[in-house]
Amino acid sequence: MKFFNFCVIAALFAVITSCTLDKTDFEAETNRDVTEYFEFKEVTSLNSGNYKISIAALNGTFYKGYNEIRLTIINTQNNQTLNSSDVTCLPILTNSDGNKTSCPHRYNLIYNEDGHYYSGYAVFTSISNPMENWDLYIGFTDNNQLHSGNRLISVHNQPNMNLNMTSFTGNDGEKYFIALVAPQKPRVAENELVAGIYKYNQPTGPAGTFPDPSQFSYSEVQNYTLKLDPRMPEPSMGNHSSPNNVDLTQKTDGLYYGVVNYTMTGNWTLNFIMQNQNGQVIKGTEVPTDFTPGIEGVKSELYIDILF
Amino acid sequence: MRYITIVLLFWGMLVNAQNTEAKKDSIREKEIKLKEVEIIVAAKKKIETEMKMAVSVDQFLASSDQISFIKRGAYAWEPLLNNMSTERSVITIDGMHVFGACTDKMDPITSYVESNNLSTIDIKSGQEGGMHGSTVAGSIDLKRKNSAFSEKQEWKGAYQSGFEFNNKQFFNLGNVSFASHKFVADGSISYRKAENYFDGNNNEVKHSQFKKFNTSLGLAYKTSTLSSLRADAIFDVAKDVGYPALPMDLWLSRALITSVAYKQLFKEGLVRVWDSKIYFNAIEHYMDDTTRPENLVHMDMPGWSTTYGLVSKINLKKENYSSEVQLNAYHNVSIAEMRMYPQNRSKQTMFAYSWPWVTTRYAGLSINNALEITEKSQINFGGSLGMNYNHSKYVDFNWIFHPGAPQEKTRFLPSLYAGYTIDVKKFNFSVGGGYGHRAPSVSEGYGYYIYNSFDRYDYIGNPDLKNEISYEINAGAGFTDEKFSLKAKANYFYIQNYIIGRILSMGSPMNYQSVGVKGYTSLDYATLFNFSLNAQYDILEHLHWKGTLTYARGKDNKEGNLPFIRPLSYQTSLQYHYKNFGFQTALNGDFEQINYSPEYGEDKTPSYRVWNLSADYTFYINNFKTVFQIGAENVLNEYYSTYADWGNIPRMGRNIFTSLKINF
Repeated sequence: MKFFNFCVIAALFAVITSCTLDKTDFEAETNRDVTEYFEFKEVTSLNSGNYKISIAALNGTFYKGYNEIRLTIINTQNNQTLNSSDVTCLPILTNSDGNKTSCPHRYNLIYNEDGHYYSGYAVFTSISNPMENWDLYIGFTDNNQLHSGNRLISVHNQPNMNLNMTSFTGNDGEKYFIALVAPQKPRVAENELVAGIYKYNQPTGPAGTFPDPSQFSYSEVQNYTLKLDPRMPEPSMGNHSSPNNVDLTQKTDGLYYGVVNYTMTGNWTLNFIMQNQNGQVIKGTEVPTDFTPGIEGVKSELYIDILF
Repeated sequence: MRYITIVLLFWGMLVNAQNTEAKKDSIREKEIKLKEVEIIVAAKKKIETEMKMAVSVDQFLASSDQISFIKRGAYAWEPLLNNMSTERSVITIDGMHVFGACTDKMDPITSYVESNNLSTIDIKSGQEGGMHGSTVAGSIDLKRKNSAFSEKQEWKGAYQSGFEFNNKQFFNLGNVSFASHKFVADGSISYRKAENYFDGNNNEVKHSQFKKFNTSLGLAYKTSTLSSLRADAIFDVAKDVGYPALPMDLWLSRALITSVAYKQLFKEGLVRVWDSKIYFNAIEHYMDDTTRPENLVHMDMPGWSTTYGLVSKINLKKENYSSEVQLNAYHNVSIAEMRMYPQNRSKQTMFAYSWPWVTTRYAGLSINNALEITEKSQINFGGSLGMNYNHSKYVDFNWIFHPGAPQEKTRFLPSLYAGYTIDVKKFNFSVGGGYGHRAPSVSEGYGYYIYNSFDRYDYIGNPDLKNEISYEINAGAGFTDEKFSLKAKANYFYIQNYIIGRILSMGSPMNYQSVGVKGYTSLDYATLFNFSLNAQYDILEHLHWKGTLTYARGKDNKEGNLPFIRPLSYQTSLQYHYKNFGFQTALNGDFEQINYSPEYGEDKTPSYRVWNLSADYTFYINNFKTVFQIGAENVLNEYYSTYADWGNIPRMGRNIFTSLKINF
């Protein structure tokens, strides 16, 4: 009887103390719209003579925007990985008219000792579709012999808006690309914001035999500054911004690093002003800083939207 | 958390079961009701005012000259003690710490009790109130009804009902107690429902309705001649409560306040009483803005506050020396969320914590001593040492404004005080001083974009705030003779590192109504002076006069005014008894608020005066004492708002009230 009483009281207690509204599971909340990938998987592979070339990217998929590419080259005869070759990688977009263009990429891959792979990147500017195809052209030398091959790849839409990109023509007439590299999964916190800034180099000489890398040349812009003003565009947020943000500047790995603070989850616009090494504005406009409830925030001429 | 409560409960039952075979005893009840040591000062005796017998807890507190109120509507007023807000005072229920779950202070602890489950409210000023925890302003302890064991079986109870015409408030309060030799039970239940009130211009003040249900149960069992075990619970639900001064209302707030106490008395020796209690309380608070179509953004703002703790007190007495030593320990988790919905509801909602899962742990030892030097003079002295620990689970939120602030913080909070009182013939004098630290509150330390609709700023907490340090002196003088008494009291606080919100240039507001961001910062110091004068005169045997005058002045370190300081105010009342009839009339008001603070969102509040009248008749129905009362508050239907009315919302206009109370 006593035990029964106890059970009844305990049950009653549990009912009363249980909450009417559940507390938000914050981890689940931030995972809702964003998936973070850590693992490099093989996207595709190709064989050239006695060599097998494996191409890996995060989640085994190429997405529109910035993609780190890892290449492993194995000599199938002795099963050894190649480690002292000059490896080149060139992404080529072919449209239905047969026109060929490229996108920002690293042409000469860098060997990573620890991971035994050749490292590069490509910033795909569009997704694969029936009218446009992406190919990767790989070249390398072993025993002074040049090997090359190419492979049709599939570029998918990037579902993670935190890895968005934009391309534009600057005030100097050059064609520029900005791609977000990190964070993949922002937090309501101080986030290190990493972006790549690239420009297209107009070919200076006539085209040689395809694929002639001089016709498809891109470079990382040097010592630019990307001024940052993050804001929430939602009208009800009244052009809300955050404190303690740091403009993006270049580090030795060629990428641009800054700090962005997100004060809450939701849609954010990263408003940029891009300045060259002399402080001249290449693109971007100041955004109003007024608090304007009910009015959608005005965006800079140069911006990238994110969501988390 | 839930697991712990069940364990607590189970422990209670075990202890109970073990003691059922305790021997019968023959010791007189008087010994059991050993006096709780005389240190407890001027506790208010009955939860009713001279004007009105059916008062809410807020109205009752308002009758103390040390208490003023910030009002955001008709419900849940925030009590200010010595003109200092609730962060600076310790508000407890029987020594138990309970923390509101609303970031906007819509639920002070006083809103979770009801007048029929309280016996007294114990107010102590300054460091003397440090018994239950670290404080600057003092302490307010709400004491629950607690019937004593009785030789013969006894049922007692009261039922009270009434109607107030202005806001159509209908209330029913009932309480019953059973006392026997071994067992005591106290129960109460109440329900209040009010609609919008009307101001002095007969305009309806929208969103000022409320509904409140409260019930409590206390069971005590005498485990031996000198010991008892007591379990208490209060359950309170408020629904559909309007806050006219705020941009949102309350959909639901719920509180469950529980405790198990064991009390041991000692017949002889230095230690007289040892009283220990473990407690648990859980508060939920859900705001609602769906009744405010003018709002641009729909927001969910739920809050939770869960506390468990321990209070253990011993009373010592030897000859002319008596002492209380109390151990306080509690653990609180405060969580508040905000989720904003975009105008296009198909889009992603926006989420942030306004209290990012903040844990507060406190452990402290307090001592309170009284030494009677002579029959006419006494020294009170004491102090406490507390340790306060804070932890912010989602410290990232705090880092946005305070990069690198520590996730955990431990503070030591010492306090000391001493006072001397002496009676010289018909005069008595007192003088005292105190020193004490307090830790910043959860909002002050860890709050994140908490919208304050008074100055219309979003407030950001600072985890690195220094302890607020109070230096206090107080003095009093009084004269009493058979017919007349006059008492003057004054205190002065010099508060170092005074915590207040200051405009932050770097922030941009998050709530659409706000105009900017303020961060909690420490002023070098602030000073506060309070003065009160009380007089009583028995004009005739049945005609009594009472008057009170209070004055306060608060200044910051630049001689600027502090906000929410009561201007010169007065209260005067006459009471007359004739046979079974009683008549009361009272006039109270504030003078013009000259020393207001525009910097903190205040504007000049004009003077006002309110005149109240009431009459009661006592009669017997079958030997049950019954009192009927009718009266009117604000008889002249004055349109006014006070210095502490949030957003200058007008107060209630003329209100005719009736109530009936049957005691059985």
